[in-house]
Amino acid sequence: MLSKLFSELKRLPRYAILLAALTALGMTAGLYRLYAGLGATTNMSKVFPWGVWISFDLTTVALSGGAFTLAALVYVFHMHDLHAATRPTVLFGLLGYSSVLVILFFDLGRWDRFWHFIVYPNINSALFEVSWCIAIYSIILIYEFSPVIVERFGNNRLLEWIKKLTIPMVIAGITLSSMHQSSLGTLFIVMSPRLHPLWHSMLLPVFFLLSSIPAGISLIIIGSIVSDMLFGHSLSQRVLEKLGWLMPWFLGLYLALKLGELLVTEELGLLFSSGKYSLLFWLELVVGVIVPMILFSIKSVRWNRWGTLTAAMLVAAGIVLNRFDATWFAILPRQGVTYSPHWLELALLVGVASGVLLVFTILSTYFPVFVETMPTRKPQEAAVEAGRAERAPALSGD
Amino acid sequence: MSRNHTYGFLIDASRCIDCRACLVACSVENDVPMEHTRIWMKGTGVMGKFPDLQRYTAPYHCMHCLDPSCVSACTVGALQQNEDGIVTYDDKRCIGCRYCMYACPFEIPNFEWDQRLALIVKCDLCVNRLAEGGQPACAATCPTQAILFGKREEMLALAHARIEDAPHRYVNHVYGEFENGGTSTFYISPVSFEQMGMPITDETRSPAHFNRLVTHGTPAVAATVAVAMSGAYLAIKRQSADNAAAEQASDGRPDDHE
Ligand code: SF4
Ligand code: SF4
Ligand code: SF4
Repeated sequence: MLSKLFSELKRLPRYAILLAALTALGMTAGLYRLYAGLGATTNMSKVFPWGVWISFDLTTVALSGGAFTLAALVYVFHMHDLHAATRPTVLFGLLGYSSVLVILFFDLGRWDRFWHFIVYPNINSALFEVSWCIAIYSIILIYEFSPVIVERFGNNRLLEWIKKLTIPMVIAGITLSSMHQSSLGTLFIVMSPRLHPLWHSMLLPVFFLLSSIPAGISLIIIGSIVSDMLFGHSLSQRVLEKLGWLMPWFLGLYLALKLGELLVTEELGLLFSSGKYSLLFWLELVVGVIVPMILFSIKSVRWNRWGTLTAAMLVAAGIVLNRFDATWFAILPRQGVTYSPHWLELALLVGVASGVLLVFTILSTYFPVFVETMPTRKPQEAAVEAGRAERAPALSGD
Repeated sequence: MSRNHTYGFLIDASRCIDCRACLVACSVENDVPMEHTRIWMKGTGVMGKFPDLQRYTAPYHCMHCLDPSCVSACTVGALQQNEDGIVTYDDKRCIGCRYCMYACPFEIPNFEWDQRLALIVKCDLCVNRLAEGGQPACAATCPTQAILFGKREEMLALAHARIEDAPHRYVNHVYGEFENGGTSTFYISPVSFEQMGMPITDETRSPAHFNRLVTHGTPAVAATVAVAMSGAYLAIKRQSADNAAAEQASDGRPDDHE
């Protein structure tokens, strides 16, 4: 019995041990934070009451936008050849949101009251809306991922039943995502005295929603190529090309709105006059938007694996920088006080991120996460996967 | 907002002698340890050249804004504006998310950084003392009447009257009259408020107003997204059903949805 378990565990890749160790360390840091309070374990202050944890949360939510974008493309716009990407993407989204919830828990001064948002609504509060949408959307993501688990245990009746709800659940998921992706931008509207005017805008909710779409797509592309390296499974270049083709449209619209807003509010001058802030803004737009927009417009780049990966990484980096700017770098200091994270803040982040990767590894080792993707090596294993998919054709079809 | 804004403060920096009796009074009256204070000192620091030295100070606490950003932001409604316009804090509700600290343009909400279960600390205008017919502890204690408390309109009128009576003694600015869309705490000072170290906000309308514009629009946007997505799904489904035969022939992949 025990030896069977052991041999099962041996199927996990080696680096799982490293991930487990980092997770344990991070959780220790988290427990210490709960014990010692926020003052001793973080560098947050009255002037910077939010730190790198919030930056991480906003970044992760944006990068997890792939789940709702893909659901819209596949189920609403019937782009069925993207279907192969849904399982890994939904799983990434689910784990992304879970990590956000875990970090938020450690971030709250009264973590024992995290459930208060359910019973004490403030409908004016963007953070209230974000909490609700993320909570419900996490349930939808669990639902969207559930076929993978159910399939593993071969319960076809349950599977049929789950499939029947797909479309309404997907549309609810898209709606909730649009709401919380945009509301995360709304969060900063009330902070106008603190957020640099290059970032502060009444269009913040539109910017955040719009940018979460290319952010999500970029993560699908990166995830696919990384899983090729780790698990020997990937989306076909034909599918990646299709995703890449979408990018310039979203990035272009985002760029036009960003600059258009500065034009209308007569803040274009800030692009040159704000020193460090101008530089950050340019970096975001040139490296994260304009360059990948050009790259993705070139057909030969889209058909090239490394070209696609490079462009996708640039988009992701631009979004990461944008969310870090809005939550940290572009928050104006007061009384000369600035912020940089305490090592325990970083330790918790590393721990939670490792935990998420560990769960991803475990699930994709033991459950049919990659059934529809192309096996790129290890032919024997690929044959096993293919056989499994054949035995249950109805399951992989949708 | 349809509320009465009954009370107000007038704080006169030319009268404050930096004795900090108000800080002690607030701490004792409200049982708040000094390190989690609800009230601070703002000041110019030492100005000028010896022997012509000058230094101005003023106590600094919640402005009790007319349209408070913190109330608009608070996730769980722990911060509320009562029927007298006083911005109160409910320590039974607060989850310690600290959004109010960023939302407040005056950096008023304070946090118990050293506590295991940490809460916000904020001036509640001594509502309990008011209910008993008293004055806020800080105003009642001030030996030089640098902090006056009374009806909001009277405090505002007095602020302007003092500036008019002695224009050489004050800068012509009643801080708090328009800041953040108007507040219930007014400052007058012999030097600019920038020099006093007070936050300078250009907004004459509270950011809370713009926040509500967006958050109240969200349900409509959500409904639009849901309807648009359902519509797109049905339209494309019908179209692809029409083309199903042709697609099947060319694609070889059966469209097996539902
Ligand atoms: S000063 Fe700050 S804490 Fe006080 S009511 Fe205004 S926004 Fe709220
Ligand atoms: S810290 Fe407390 S009072 Fe402040 S916004 Fe969060 S829940 Fe509200
Ligand atoms: S009004 Fe009361 S709670 Fe507010 S600063 Fe004065 S003494 Fe403290």
